[in-house]
Amino acid sequence: MTKHDVKNNDKTKPGLGRRAVLATGVTGALAIPFLARGAGNVLRIGVPTVLSGPIALLGTSSRNALLLEADRINAASGLAGRKIELVFEDGKAQPQETARVARELVNTGGCELLIDATPSSGAFAVQEVVRDLGVLCIHTCSETSSLTADPKLRAPTAFRCARQGVHDSIAGGAYLAQFANAHKFNKWATCSPDYAYGRDTTAQFLDFFRHFKPDIELVTQAWPKLGQPDFTEVITKLIQARPQALFTLLYAGDLSAFINQGNVYALFKAMTVCTPNVDYPVLSAIKNIPDGIQSGTRYFEEFPPLPANKAWSEAYRKRFGQYPTNWAWQNAAAMMFLEAAAKKAGTSDGKTLVGVLSGLTIDCPFGTNGKITMREDHTIIDYAIGWGRTIAKPPYIADIKPADWGQIIELETAWKKQLGYI
Amino acid sequence: MNGLWRDSGVALAALVLLLGAPLAFSSPAFEDFIIRLSALALFATSLNLLVGGSGMISFGHGLFYGFGAYAFALLMQRTTLSLASAVLLTLFLAALVALLVGAVCIRLKTIYFAFVTLAIQMLFYSVIISWVSLTGGDQGLQGGIPRRVIAGIDINQQGHLYQFCAVLLVAGLFAMRHITASPFGMTLRMIRDNEARAAFLGIPLWRPKLAIFVLAGVFAALGGILASLFVSGAYPEFADWPFSGQAIFAVMLGGIDSFLGPLAGSAILLALNDIFTRLTEYHGLVQGVVILLFALGLRRGVLDFLRVLPGRGEVASR
Amino acid sequence: MDLGALVACFASPACVVTQASSGLIVGLLLFLVAAGLTLIFGVLKIVNFAHGTFYMLGAYIAYSVLQATNSYGLAVLAAAAAMAVFGVAFERFLIARVYGGNVLMQLLICYAVVLIFDDLVKLVWGADFHAMGMPEAFQRAPIFIAGGVVPPFYAGLIVLSLCLAALLGLGLGFTRMGKIITAAAQNPQMVAALGINTTALFALVFGLGGGLAGLAGALAAPVRSLSPGMGFSILIESFIITVIGGMGSIAGALLTAIGYGLLRGFGTIGFPLFTDELIYAAMILVLLLRPSGLFGREIV
Repeated sequence: MTKHDVKNNDKTKPGLGRRAVLATGVTGALAIPFLARGAGNVLRIGVPTVLSGPIALLGTSSRNALLLEADRINAASGLAGRKIELVFEDGKAQPQETARVARELVNTGGCELLIDATPSSGAFAVQEVVRDLGVLCIHTCSETSSLTADPKLRAPTAFRCARQGVHDSIAGGAYLAQFANAHKFNKWATCSPDYAYGRDTTAQFLDFFRHFKPDIELVTQAWPKLGQPDFTEVITKLIQARPQALFTLLYAGDLSAFINQGNVYALFKAMTVCTPNVDYPVLSAIKNIPDGIQSGTRYFEEFPPLPANKAWSEAYRKRFGQYPTNWAWQNAAAMMFLEAAAKKAGTSDGKTLVGVLSGLTIDCPFGTNGKITMREDHTIIDYAIGWGRTIAKPPYIADIKPADWGQIIELETAWKKQLGYI
Repeated sequence: MNGLWRDSGVALAALVLLLGAPLAFSSPAFEDFIIRLSALALFATSLNLLVGGSGMISFGHGLFYGFGAYAFALLMQRTTLSLASAVLLTLFLAALVALLVGAVCIRLKTIYFAFVTLAIQMLFYSVIISWVSLTGGDQGLQGGIPRRVIAGIDINQQGHLYQFCAVLLVAGLFAMRHITASPFGMTLRMIRDNEARAAFLGIPLWRPKLAIFVLAGVFAALGGILASLFVSGAYPEFADWPFSGQAIFAVMLGGIDSFLGPLAGSAILLALNDIFTRLTEYHGLVQGVVILLFALGLRRGVLDFLRVLPGRGEVASR
Repeated sequence: MDLGALVACFASPACVVTQASSGLIVGLLLFLVAAGLTLIFGVLKIVNFAHGTFYMLGAYIAYSVLQATNSYGLAVLAAAAAMAVFGVAFERFLIARVYGGNVLMQLLICYAVVLIFDDLVKLVWGADFHAMGMPEAFQRAPIFIAGGVVPPFYAGLIVLSLCLAALLGLGLGFTRMGKIITAAAQNPQMVAALGINTTALFALVFGLGGGLAGLAGALAAPVRSLSPGMGFSILIESFIITVIGGMGSIAGALLTAIGYGLLRGFGTIGFPLFTDELIYAAMILVLLLRPSGLFGREIV
């Protein structure tokens, strides 16, 4: 530095004031996260979720359901006498951000438990955090079986209150085998998104499908990318392969685009499309849903045909102006489990609740017979799984047949043995 | 020599402050922040070795960050190497990759260099997604990194991980500072400012460029290692090109002409992200507006704006 | 890999027609987006990373206009016009401030705009996905050519896109304005010295580019899903096409886009899992062997 430069470093220049202001402001802003919040008579529940991006609906509908249930529980006596306060934060569907959010909610957000409303990859990241911190956590949106089935991935304080891929595969396989036999459909094709869930679940479905109906011929398989805007070349390939029926795991926006683009090519006249994923968001997006799609019910207010289910759906619709989603019921059920466990244990302490939740059966409007059980391996069973076919007028899905849970559990156990999980 | 003493002093002071902070107040959030900051700051500063220091604009620098994260996590999961060995081996492999990539890309002119680095990163990303048996595909590496004890430091404990990251952050920055302040760094700045003149002076351009490309790749991989320790695994997002964008933004926000600019920018980005995500679900909107204010209002990075540039001819104090 | 199926497809005229036309659709819609991007880069030397946002807004505006007026033609025109205006505004108020600066500063501004509008779209139209549905005029049975299936809507899109491509090419090459734009791409200072208002010219080019992207969004909307952030994947694909085709070359963008579409169309039969990697590898090869792209001009 030369003599000339010394003049420019003169401390009386206004630059110092600017510097100081900026420094103070930044430090102040940075300090905000570090002020931990107190507990008191409020039970804070942290909810890492997805509120932005293509799958934002998962987070917004989860949030809706949680708010609905929390308000109901608070209007009664709260959870073991404490009022619930839900703290939502957006993990942006990025695992490292979701992990950060989960840690922050517990470490500085004063949250004593977590309800993790993130899809699979986020759920695995949160699982590591839960393993580290030892808090009670209920995953409500991850359908990947290995989260609870694989002993290496399981965490002692983590539960899953959501449908499982393997259950859906068994139920779907059984129903579609019956359907295929009735119509003599032996030539099948699949079209599923090319990522872990799409690949694993499609393979699983085919396994069980073949178990129920061994004489299936798979003429082709298509693997479009998740979120791909245009399925045209895949649709034309499928039409030319001439299957009698198509199994697809496309969902939400992708399924909606696929149906619209398929209509253009009269795909639905060429083959019967079967999917577990025609739910209310897809139904409201598509104006003219083709007749005769065989679909599972992820959430449907007519199934299970219980008054409590319809009432819950109506309350949800009245407050939020849209139909509930699959993620909504899963989160509502999680709150119902917490409510029942707290009542049984007489406390809202996370560690105690872990012991009580395991093996607990509750009354629930979403259970096949009005009840859902949280099994000892920390995942739920006996929730409603149904398959039916679409029709052009309300309620849009008809002839719904419930899945056979005895059969599901038997085959699930065999599958777990086969993979060495038990 | 004055510069070296001053830098060492600053580094030592920073180290003492960082290591001493948990003794003064206990805050897991602060520790988490510093751990994430160390990963991003190393990544961003390494990028600035290329962008600000050498005039080589790379859009695909995230390749090395992602490679560092995956290589390290895989080594820890699948071998019984110690923490130190895994780190060193990862850095060595990253250097090899950078050498290969750099050898191919260096000769391209500015904007094309940017495009080809981006394309190579996208290719790497799609390989990560496809090679499910090795990388876990889009779900990332699951099962966590086995927590090892090294020289009494158990990175399983938050506090120890914090200290590990703090030390590596200061050490890494100090090393990069040494590079930029050296005659080698001066050569690079000369190339940045006027490539033709540097060539006329008899400097074989490709050598320093390739060297800094490799060094930048190694430090980016170090950042990736810290990130993988934080999440106990590795995710494809680390190697996706929007993440390269994060480093670019950290550099631009903090100041491309200041050595600590990327560090400041990283801190600002992380803090803004944390604050906005906590406050609102429309964090994108708020973040975008703030970035526009920075870009259009200040027109350069924060540290560049604060530091009154003493005019042309100034060299070593960058 | 299923090369047997690929060979069988080439042997069957029905398959060739069907897959080629479905590939053409994908490619031509991408061309409309890429044309705007390459034009903006060619003339202004700006890589418009916010280009996907124009596409997204075009789609949403078309959706709303169709809901309100039940006229698809009006929806398309409204979307294109709105995005042209937005393009001009974007250039005047934001991009113009960072001309001559670091390309990374431009990138930062584009990124900020993307963030802002993704959330604005979520605010206005909601987080859940929408579908526009096929306009009634096009709800007809597919046409059969040599046994291959071609839906009328897509046939119309192919014709429209090719006409637009021709219009652009001829316009740039033979009209006065087109020649001025081409000249400004090569030497903006000289064009300004000749008394031409380059400020207005740059705004015009940005408006044209934005309008094309908005038009593409509106044309694709009937069959695609609308959601916030839908511009992201379009941006990557059109960016790759402009780099391979040559930044600044409409013809390059057209040929590359068609090639990309055909690669997807036949690749899905023969090698469905490698199309992405092939595209990136192609991009790398082009950049290494001929950096300015297949048809681009060397950047001075």
